[in-house]
Amino acid sequence: MVQIKKRKLPEAEIPTSSMADISFLLLLFFLVSTVIDVDTGIGLVLPEYVPPEQQQFVPLSKDRLAALLINENGDVLLNNELISIPQISKTLKPRIESKIDLPANKKLVVSVKTDRKTSYNLFIQALDQVKQAYFDVRNEYALKHFGKRLIDIDDRSEEMKELKDKIPITISIAEPETVKK
Amino acid sequence: MKFEKKRANTKQNIPTASLPDIVFMLLLFFMVTTTLREVDVLVQYRLPEAKAIEKIENKRLVSYIWVGKDGRIQVNDSIVKLGDIQKIMYSKRVALPNVIVSLRIDKGSEMGIVTDIQQELRKASCLRINYSTLLKI
Repeated sequence: MVQIKKRKLPEAEIPTSSMADISFLLLLFFLVSTVIDVDTGIGLVLPEYVPPEQQQFVPLSKDRLAALLINENGDVLLNNELISIPQISKTLKPRIESKIDLPANKKLVVSVKTDRKTSYNLFIQALDQVKQAYFDVRNEYALKHFGKRLIDIDDRSEEMKELKDKIPITISIAEPETVKK
Repeated sequence: MKFEKKRANTKQNIPTASLPDIVFMLLLFFMVTTTLREVDVLVQYRLPEAKAIEKIENKRLVSYIWVGKDGRIQVNDSIVKLGDIQKIMYSKRVALPNVIVSLRIDKGSEMGIVTDIQQELRKASCLRINYSTLLKI
């Protein structure tokens, strides 16, 4: 009996060794060409627009209000006391702290008012100081009551809710004066 | 009798067949998570610096207003007048009710223009704003 040897077919294979290299190249291209910049800044919620004739005067007691005035030379008045910008946070802190346990309608309101000629940079520096004061108070409260730092608390947790409840950030940007020459 | 060396008859190469798949998965992840820069900024600005800042997590909610050194205002892709802001921002707000307006204003600007823009935004009832700043170290 004669055995007929079957001819062995060469194995068909696609060379895939370079595939990884190609995909790595694509990946690198995307990594390099994308900008991952997270927007950072000072958040604020503006009050609703009310036409001047419908505006109502809401009286606000003196000890609730921290009026911050900044003029075009960069002088800062906090409740009629002349201070410098880096002092704002220190001056506000005790006032915020003293109102932690008070009900919501007795919390401190910081009102920021500027001249039309005031530099935007100065305004931001002042606003930054105000926020810093609030964050410091929140941080101390969180450390005392939850044993956590402020940055370790999740934004949606109950603890954050309590913080926001006890120490709300109320910054009011004063209504611009219509005519003042 | 012949002696043969004992050898493990396993193959010596590392299986790399799944490597491209893994890399493609990474690639796709990056492509999906990044948002491409959409607009050309026509004005020159330098942002102020601040310490107590927050991050905006959801980039899709953000819409920008640029104000340059020379006081020009840019919304979307073009320079606009102050009076046009209300209309543009209102249509944005209708499309996206909880839009956050990020103000990218040159630090040398005067507060006059900032207040004017804020008043326009209030009239357009875009109330959530964010003063864009850099992190002061």
